[in-house]
Amino acid sequence: MKTLRLCIASAWCLCGAASAAETVTYVNYIRQFQMPEGITWDASDIVADNGSKLSSLEINPGGARFELWTMKSSSDTGLTKYPLESCYVGTYIPVAMVKIRSQDNSSAIVRTRADRPFYVDVTLSGLLNGATDPEPSKSVKFLRHVQSYGVGGTGVGIDRSQATLLSQSSITTNGTQTLTYALTSIPGANRSKIRGEERFSVFSLEDYQAPESQIAAQFIQVWPVADGTISGIANNQSIKFTLPAVTLALNDLYPFSTTYAQVYKGNPVLGTSGEIVPGSALVINDSIPVSRVLSLTNYDSVFTSDGRWTMEILTVTPFGTDRLAYISFDLDRTINLNTTVTTIE
Amino acid sequence: MKSLAVLSLFSVFTAVTARAEMRDAATHEELSLQYRKTSQEDPMSKLAAAKGPDPSTANPMKSLIGDSEVLCFNGMVTLVPKRAVLQIPQNLADRLKYQPGAKLLSWAQFYALNRGWITTVEVSRVQAAGTSAMSEVTQKQISKSANLIVATYQAGPISVLPLKVPVETTAKIPQS
Repeated sequence: MKTLRLCIASAWCLCGAASAAETVTYVNYIRQFQMPEGITWDASDIVADNGSKLSSLEINPGGARFELWTMKSSSDTGLTKYPLESCYVGTYIPVAMVKIRSQDNSSAIVRTRADRPFYVDVTLSGLLNGATDPEPSKSVKFLRHVQSYGVGGTGVGIDRSQATLLSQSSITTNGTQTLTYALTSIPGANRSKIRGEERFSVFSLEDYQAPESQIAAQFIQVWPVADGTISGIANNQSIKFTLPAVTLALNDLYPFSTTYAQVYKGNPVLGTSGEIVPGSALVINDSIPVSRVLSLTNYDSVFTSDGRWTMEILTVTPFGTDRLAYISFDLDRTINLNTTVTTIE
Repeated sequence: MKSLAVLSLFSVFTAVTARAEMRDAATHEELSLQYRKTSQEDPMSKLAAAKGPDPSTANPMKSLIGDSEVLCFNGMVTLVPKRAVLQIPQNLADRLKYQPGAKLLSWAQFYALNRGWITTVEVSRVQAAGTSAMSEVTQKQISKSANLIVATYQAGPISVLPLKVPVETTAKIPQS
């Protein structure tokens, strides 16, 4: 009897905020599909949410496919299914692992930004090379899919069968290979506003008992580059007395970021550290990008003297600090009284 | 506690800021130029090329809901594989329909709360595959039960395929 080690990773679903009255529960499902006869066994309750266990349903020569799902049950929207992972195992099918790395290690789901690189490690073991070995034991297919979430999309409820196959290769040797991608290839008219995902997967070759089946896969989410504007003060404006109310429009802030406005004396110089404008700091720790509009009033205290000043919006992410917008203006809050004193003799 | 979390998050960012260089946010024009250069150097081109249709669309994951029977009662719902329900008494037929707003439970949780109307029958792998019949005693128990019967393997619901009947042939075996 051949048994299989089930490895279950805990998964957190990426869903929008629930309404106050909405009751939401999540249940994980593990299904084992025996090939070729088609028995389906629900092994959900034999494995802890974060743990591993041997499958007690023996694998036939045709192999078996394991699928991991999370099911959302909402009092408002009903049942929603989230396919998380699928893995085919068989007598002589190689074992594969795909790992994607980025510069952001803060999330359970691997993610990066439209202007940042990422790395794919694909590891194969158990590949054979004998003349009489069956073809599916000697080679696997390695695929790259890309899929856009669309403008403003978050990927929730996306139909992954609509992903575009960008390239496919064969791997015939055991070991780890690392592929480096400087930028994402997810389609989009504006390259700084890409939202979507790239999926890398390893498939077995077709066998007489089983079709080409996924052995391992992982995906990376790609989020847009943030942008922002400062309104309420025009560039090069001369300001006398009280500073006007300023509005910061912040778009597509990275899911793990801190954004704030700072001021410093003089003309704009990238890399200058200034005083943070009170009420402008925004800390984001989310699963999707966030857009906000901030209104700033009564922030005169950070301006210590008259003269030329610069205000900048900065966003700090796992990729470093980006300047989103800046303006410079002249501040003159000093009242000069010109008087003349005359006497009559 | 929350303020502590925010503080720690901010300190992480401060550390990042200290290390990283500040830059202007990348624009579409800059990224388009960089993309044109990098797209000509596909790292996968170093591997041997493969051909054929997309296997992920030819053999996709099954639909969990489409491949399941719904058991729903008293504001609770669970999913079991199709063909795992062996017997449905007429008076319980409406419990195989999803009631909006029902709370999803795992099979073990649902069964623990609904033992009054659900009975399980443990089957072997060959019985689930339809290559071996269930014992007569079990078959009688199923047909006479007033409860809904779910097939299980090691306590997990399992589909039971129709019994494969040996094909009868009328061809005569030539005598040697």
